[in-house]
Amino acid sequence: MRGLALLLLTALPLRAQTPAAEVGRERAEFTAWLATDPLSPYAALGLQPIGPGISVGAEPSDLPLAGVPRGILTEAGSSVVLTTDGARRILPRGRAVPLSATARLVITGGPGRAVAASFGTVRGATPPQFFAYAPSLRIAVRLEPPERRGRFPVLGLDGAETDANEAGLVRVTMAGATTRLRVYRLGAADDDEAPLFIYFRDATNGRETYPAGRFIELLPSADGAYELDFNRARNPYCAYSSVFPCPAPWPGNRLAAAVRAGEQYHAP
Amino acid sequence: MLSLLALLLATPDVTGPWRATLDLAGGPLEFGLVLTSTTAGLGGELCNAGSCTPFSAVRWDGDSLVLELGDYAASMAVVPRGDSLVGRYHNVGRRGPRTIPLRASRGRWTGTAGGAALLGRWDAWFQSGFEQTPRVFEIRNGPQGLEGAVISNSGDYGLFAGRATGDSLALGHFDGSFVYLLTGRLDGDTLRGSFHAGLRTRTAFVATRATGRPHLTPPTAVTRADSSAPLAFRFPDVDGRMVSSSDARFQGKVVLVDLFGTWCPTCHDAAPALVGLYQRFRERGLEVVGIAFEVTGDSAQDAPLVRRYREKFGIPFPLLLGGVSEVEAVSAAFPQLEGFTAYPTTLFVGRDGRIRRIHAGFYGPATGAAHEALVAEFTREVERLLAEPAPR
Repeated sequence: MRGLALLLLTALPLRAQTPAAEVGRERAEFTAWLATDPLSPYAALGLQPIGPGISVGAEPSDLPLAGVPRGILTEAGSSVVLTTDGARRILPRGRAVPLSATARLVITGGPGRAVAASFGTVRGATPPQFFAYAPSLRIAVRLEPPERRGRFPVLGLDGAETDANEAGLVRVTMAGATTRLRVYRLGAADDDEAPLFIYFRDATNGRETYPAGRFIELLPSADGAYELDFNRARNPYCAYSSVFPCPAPWPGNRLAAAVRAGEQYHAP
Repeated sequence: MLSLLALLLATPDVTGPWRATLDLAGGPLEFGLVLTSTTAGLGGELCNAGSCTPFSAVRWDGDSLVLELGDYAASMAVVPRGDSLVGRYHNVGRRGPRTIPLRASRGRWTGTAGGAALLGRWDAWFQSGFEQTPRVFEIRNGPQGLEGAVISNSGDYGLFAGRATGDSLALGHFDGSFVYLLTGRLDGDTLRGSFHAGLRTRTAFVATRATGRPHLTPPTAVTRADSSAPLAFRFPDVDGRMVSSSDARFQGKVVLVDLFGTWCPTCHDAAPALVGLYQRFRERGLEVVGIAFEVTGDSAQDAPLVRRYREKFGIPFPLLLGGVSEVEAVSAAFPQLEGFTAYPTTLFVGRDGRIRRIHAGFYGPATGAAHEALVAEFTREVERLLAEPAPR
């Protein structure tokens, strides 16, 4: 990954890049990541809620992982424990736990609703396809006050449940129609780096783009506004692998127009 | 030898001080780079105000100068362009790989001092939608210009440094891993602005002058303990020997138990204070033990990190491997604790073996007066517990 970054550094002009060039660089990095990273969605083998307990490892098990001794995953209090041959090991949440040279386990979800995902080697990775960069679909927006109070769980881009709150709404005008899109902040209240995301649907869904909708991260700009760049629209992981659950649409986040920007989807 | 000489001649002279900028999505974060020529080749440091961290390696890779920060698995790669450097900062954090545009020109940043209206202690609310979470800002003029600290319920974020421009301020903190920028402007008696964390996150804040009433949760009210029975622990040290609360060295002593992680900058800030207390009071019956909760929880990977931490601070007391840094793992290791949330957390154990006080988080040197007050408070508490008679 670092080698790739250096390669790109020398291959691209190093002046402050245009948004199109920056998005191009990110797409190249993402394409390489999908094809090679041990936690690429194309390396996912299975995903199971832990519930009262599941088996993991050599078959037969709830979460098969070849070459890994069979163990039992349980939630004890608020922690997740892997018990193998009587040895108990508390597993971290949100980080890959290597179980063999190629097998990894990732625990996500809050206390009482933990989910285990298993990863092996990348198989059948298809390079993602994108619409050509559309400068007119990069717009400046301001956050308007939220409507929804409190914290709630949502599924993020990676199909993992995360704690969220509504940061506000943004106004988008396309083809003469104005729509207000909900912006959620994905992460705990005291997480300083919790990102702002919009999960939206539009008229291209099911034909040129993924049926369930797409995610965009909102980027702060210098003047207190935000940049909403539809060219950064990305598919949820369920577009790459049926292992991952698809996030349910966020209420009201539907654009009547066809947003021909960002990541495409072509059914295999 | 000849080819090495040719290579040296071919590479531009980059030694000297540089004014560097990370271009975050929400604005520029300024820091210093100092590159030096050593007998072994190139060396250098990354500087924030007066505090500098050496790069673990500085080397040429083709046209790129690569500056490595081994502790954080981070690096910068820059290409000289005339009298400037242009490139990127790269690291792999807990949210995956991230890349931030970086540029530098020759010279040193000159901080500017702030007027009285900006200085002092501010009670801030970070706002997102209907939610707000408290922080405290300590802002003062230091030897290099405006500086200060941002404090949350679990401690401070390290030293911030930068400049004041009229009624506005911009203070940054970049230690090679954590990237923070605080920008604000006075609006009458209120300070309004943004806190930027990482490349892409911005949180709006509103701050008013501290009134003296507590704004943050008091650090002694975050975590509670069942102290009806003596505190019990048993973990391996970094050399594999088991250390237990029932060992002779702890009997009848006052014990400070430091729950820490080598990944936690606030823990690094607390380490010298704990070493100081141990050296001052061990003769009178103080023991200190650090219990590390690390990223992997795998002792083969964790032990070298903890050994390096011990060497960095010259720690003379035992450091044990507690497991993975999940809050749940700490709760499992210390079932007597309730509400553990902050690293470091310091348990004050009396001569009778019972937990007498729990302090969550730590105010590092960047917080100025708050740091001094905290060290004084720790000292008083240790002296008070030492004065109690040992149980027979």
